[in-house]
Amino acid sequence: MSDKNTPFLTIDHITKWYPHNDGRIHLFRSREKRSWVKAVDDVSLTMNRGEVLGIIGESGCGKSTLGRILVRLESPTSGDVLLGGRSTAQMLREDRKAFRKRVQIVFQNPFDTFTPRDTIQKILMRPLRNYGIGASDEERLAMCREALEAGGLHPTDEILKRYPHELSGGQLQRISIIRSMFFKPDLIIADEPVSMLDVSVRADIINMLLDLAKKNNTAVIFISHDIALTRYISDHIAVMYLGRVVEYGRTDDVIAGPRHPYTRVLISHCADVDPDQARDSLPITGEPPTPINPGPGCYFAPRCFMACEGCRAAYPGRVELENGHYVCCSCIREE
Amino acid sequence: MTKIQKALRAIVSDKQLLFGLIGIAVLLLIILFQDVLETHDPYDYGPDSLAAPGINGHLLGTNKLGQDVYSMLIAGVSTSLKVALISSLISALIGILLGGAAGFLGGKVDMVLSELINVFMMIPTFFLELMIIAMFGNSITNVMIVIGLTSWASNAKLMRAQALSLRERTFVKSAIVMGETRPQILFNYIIPNGIFPVIANTTMGMSGAILTEASLSFLGLGDVNVISWGQMIYDGKSYITSAWWIATFAGIAIVLTVITFYMLGDGLNHVLNPKHISGGKK
Repeated sequence: MSDKNTPFLTIDHITKWYPHNDGRIHLFRSREKRSWVKAVDDVSLTMNRGEVLGIIGESGCGKSTLGRILVRLESPTSGDVLLGGRSTAQMLREDRKAFRKRVQIVFQNPFDTFTPRDTIQKILMRPLRNYGIGASDEERLAMCREALEAGGLHPTDEILKRYPHELSGGQLQRISIIRSMFFKPDLIIADEPVSMLDVSVRADIINMLLDLAKKNNTAVIFISHDIALTRYISDHIAVMYLGRVVEYGRTDDVIAGPRHPYTRVLISHCADVDPDQARDSLPITGEPPTPINPGPGCYFAPRCFMACEGCRAAYPGRVELENGHYVCCSCIREE
Repeated sequence: MTKIQKALRAIVSDKQLLFGLIGIAVLLLIILFQDVLETHDPYDYGPDSLAAPGINGHLLGTNKLGQDVYSMLIAGVSTSLKVALISSLISALIGILLGGAAGFLGGKVDMVLSELINVFMMIPTFFLELMIIAMFGNSITNVMIVIGLTSWASNAKLMRAQALSLRERTFVKSAIVMGETRPQILFNYIIPNGIFPVIANTTMGMSGAILTEASLSFLGLGDVNVISWGQMIYDGKSYITSAWWIATFAGIAIVLTVITFYMLGDGLNHVLNPKHISGGKK
């Protein structure tokens, strides 16, 4: 349904502001005068089917909020997300169930993803029954068994009978991925899916997610603060700082040649496999500023080692580099 | 197997719950062996009027119509338990549904339902009960329904608070993403996970229901065709100086039963507390 020119997913100037309670009464104050927490501020991104987009940034930079807006657990203050050229806000209004089937999310905390009162069998069967996937309960149960087996969870009969608190985080996260993948979604958002898990099982979970995504031609948005991991799995990387995308490009371009000072600092502080490798870590000072009424000027300017006078005047526009790589920094000239 | 063991350990660990459960078991046994325990037919007007305890085989004496007080007490157990169970079932059902819907759906629904809850918390319920019974007649069914309809507000408040916190949990968010409808989420996730405080509160509410039924009977608005402890006190109050046994033993029975239900409710409250379930000490 989408032609060649429309990208599969377009995030179109998404903004999410939360009213900030600063203890004053706002009854008669205008929208402009109130203080707002700008969790996501004018984010625009595109991606193609079957791709993996990594979103990295420090905690509180709005990457999880962006993920929740994409699955419509929250609605944006302004802007829209287009899936195959169609507005998701409209899709949700017209056919909620159909939209939910196309966009899925894997949450950060696997221990709270399932209701503690139901067995895994009940949890897995419910969406299948709800959507009429499989002709009979026997067939659905066989599907669950097959999926669990393929996901390396055996003995399947034993797992199906268990309650969520009787399983490990890794097992639960696998089940969460399996359940989302029953729908063969077009887009899956992985919101720090392995950050609460043991290091030993992280690779397995990621591989399982990517394998299933590849099989179903699902686009994956991988939200993480782990640069090494994101680099390994994603095709493109977007770096977020205080609700804004500061740098975007192909993974190799961003990691090998970061241009934005924030990305450079992040990558320079990232641990390397080779401990002897000589690296200069770039300086970063100060606390991360609050997203309450930031600006004017570049949000990163107060902590930036490259900051100049021009940085504090207005938020810098995009500087386009090669291969769709772009940076929002006023100290960088176009090549 | 382990679940039964866990439940047993929880019961033994909480003295109040243990006391409450033993009390309920005794009451149920009395109902079960009612025919054996009764020495006389409690509805039978015997020849001995106002006989003192011990006279003519009347263990606890008789009332002015010659009915055996001891047998009436035994017959009153089932009345009290019936009133307690059915009225608190009605109150729990209304409370869970309205409270759950208010907390989970939020917005305008919450605003309207919260105000409704507040109204029912504020109005003098006993006066309302008196009015309704006076208007619709004083059968035991009416009494049970009226007690249920006027006591649901505290259950609704508890359930609403539970729903408010549960709807922010990841499993509710994930259910939304899995395409489940709001009624499905309410019945599959919110209510099963938030029901425990309501169960405890309802059990405590049972003691309130017994007292309310007794109070209504005492004011002459009980069901005269059914033997109840409240009715006995109402009948006995004019003989309190000459035949103290009519009202006194019924009063003691009410006190003991109310304490039993209260202990059970409080014990359940401790044991069903999530902190207790996770193994931590109080």
